[in-house]
Amino acid sequence: MIIAKELRKFYGNGENRQEVLKGIDLTVSDGEFVVILGASGSGKSTLLNILSGLERADEGSVLYDGTDITRFSDSELTRFRKAQIGFIFQQYYLLPHLSVEKNVRMGADLAEDQNYAEVIEAVGLAGKCKKYPSELSGGEQQRAAIARALAKKPKVLFCDEPTGSLDERTGRQILDHLSKLQKGNGITVIMVTHNQNIADMADTVVKLNSGTVLEVQHNNQQKSAYEIGW
Amino acid sequence: MVIGIKDALKFIGISVVVVCAAFVCTLFLNYDLDLRLLSNIPDAALPLYNAQLSMGKAIAAISGCGLALTSVVLLVFYLKNYIDVHGKELGILKAMGYSRFSVAKHFWIFGLSVLLGAMIGLGAAYLYMPTFYSVQNADGLFPEIAVRFHFELLLSLVILPTLVFAGLAVLYAFYKLKTPVLDLLREGREKTIKAHKEKDGPFLKGLRLATLKSKKLLVFLIAFSAFCFSSMVQMSLSMLDLASETFAWMILMIGLILAFMTLLMSLSSVVKGNAKTIAMMRIFGYEYSVCSNRILGAYRPFSYIGFAVGTVYQFALLKLMLGVFFADVEVPAYTFDWKAFFIALFAFVALYEFILFLYAQRIKKLSLKSVMEE
Repeated sequence: MIIAKELRKFYGNGENRQEVLKGIDLTVSDGEFVVILGASGSGKSTLLNILSGLERADEGSVLYDGTDITRFSDSELTRFRKAQIGFIFQQYYLLPHLSVEKNVRMGADLAEDQNYAEVIEAVGLAGKCKKYPSELSGGEQQRAAIARALAKKPKVLFCDEPTGSLDERTGRQILDHLSKLQKGNGITVIMVTHNQNIADMADTVVKLNSGTVLEVQHNNQQKSAYEIGW
Repeated sequence: MVIGIKDALKFIGISVVVVCAAFVCTLFLNYDLDLRLLSNIPDAALPLYNAQLSMGKAIAAISGCGLALTSVVLLVFYLKNYIDVHGKELGILKAMGYSRFSVAKHFWIFGLSVLLGAMIGLGAAYLYMPTFYSVQNADGLFPEIAVRFHFELLLSLVILPTLVFAGLAVLYAFYKLKTPVLDLLREGREKTIKAHKEKDGPFLKGLRLATLKSKKLLVFLIAFSAFCFSSMVQMSLSMLDLASETFAWMILMIGLILAFMTLLMSLSSVVKGNAKTIAMMRIFGYEYSVCSNRILGAYRPFSYIGFAVGTVYQFALLKLMLGVFFADVEVPAYTFDWKAFFIALFAFVALYEFILFLYAQRIKKLSLKSVMEE
């Protein structure tokens, strides 16, 4: 279980100092699919970065099963990310000089898992293992990024606008993959998006506005990636 | 226009190299020209006269060519980085309808870094010249040599290099700007990687090779800077035994400045060029020491190769110069200088590791998010 308490984050100094997160409280249960919804500048990506240990909060705490990661040193955070966290970014951030297979292996080696081929197959890239990111379409690159994230067998998967750079058809495919993999493996997924329709797929929707939580909704009937609007 | 004088000032590394080149060349060539104006050279001084003329020209040619080559390498490297970093702005200009040449022509401004360095080098040489002349004629074998200003040196060591480098910058930019607009506009451009046979094996094992294959220019730069460091430091240290004290210290100081500058610049480029890969690995949970060892450590063997080649080069060059130019003059016999070799090697290893350590501390302090979003 992840519990965020009174998270505050400031950017800038002096007159330019801005409070981006204004005391966020949030609870995420194991295996839950949470969507953090908000407009540009609402603080959703900052919240995701802090929850995942990529960025430090100025105030507040983030507890993973009772352990506060905000007190971790850099190397403790690295070990924590290695053991627990997976990432999927809007810009994919694949290593351009490595093939799909090697990119996925980057995650698999951390989990000491040699069965990464299954993950590549699961995202439909079995035939493109030897291709380089520049030889793939946007959707294929994102699928490779998903495979890389899943290959390290994370307990929590953080997704920052994973369909933000994709067309509708590819976006739905990616969401479908993510949803199936989440349900099949019991992974906790925390996804940031500005697309209201994706919220219909989630167990819980957290609406953010100007650094504060406006509303937390629980969905009893989640829709599939092909049922939601776009 | 996106390119301003501020950008040209970022090329300060080139200015430093050019200062040294202009200083050495002006000193020796001016002396050469003034020496030729002498009449009534005593017979006893003729061997030294001929040796000094030849040696002056050789040093000016070798150091001038060497330093000019270093400057060209640095210029190309800086320009490549500049275009990579400012690709988006250049892409916008192209998209708006500016022709390749109308954008590229503004790159002439980078010639200013050469002008600045050459002017400082020339000025410093004329300030030091009276001392240099008296050292060269310490035994009083020649009649008094007056310091004269030679316009041809201003032309060939300041004006022409500035024009050549400005032209080179424009030509290089013109060539690089043939990249399609969309590729320039796309943030974090991903170049098409040439397919190569990737070996099966763990990720970390393949990473080292893949990193080196994808960044050949960095491999060259690191080897080149080690070559410069090795040859300049060893040659300068050897000069302490072969030349007068003033002259030797002058060469040593120039050698050390150049060696330090080239090494610093190449290592900073290596770290910056691999920062994203390291950041991504750290996001996934790889320890910094592992990232550093696998990625930054991959360049280390090439630096030692560069160092070894530089050692052989400087030895052969000194041997040749002494054999050819000072054949008729009594100078100490030159054998391989092991002391200089070990001093240079120790200094190189210490400096290399220290600079990398400093950069590592800087990378660690950067937020992973900021590195990825750069």
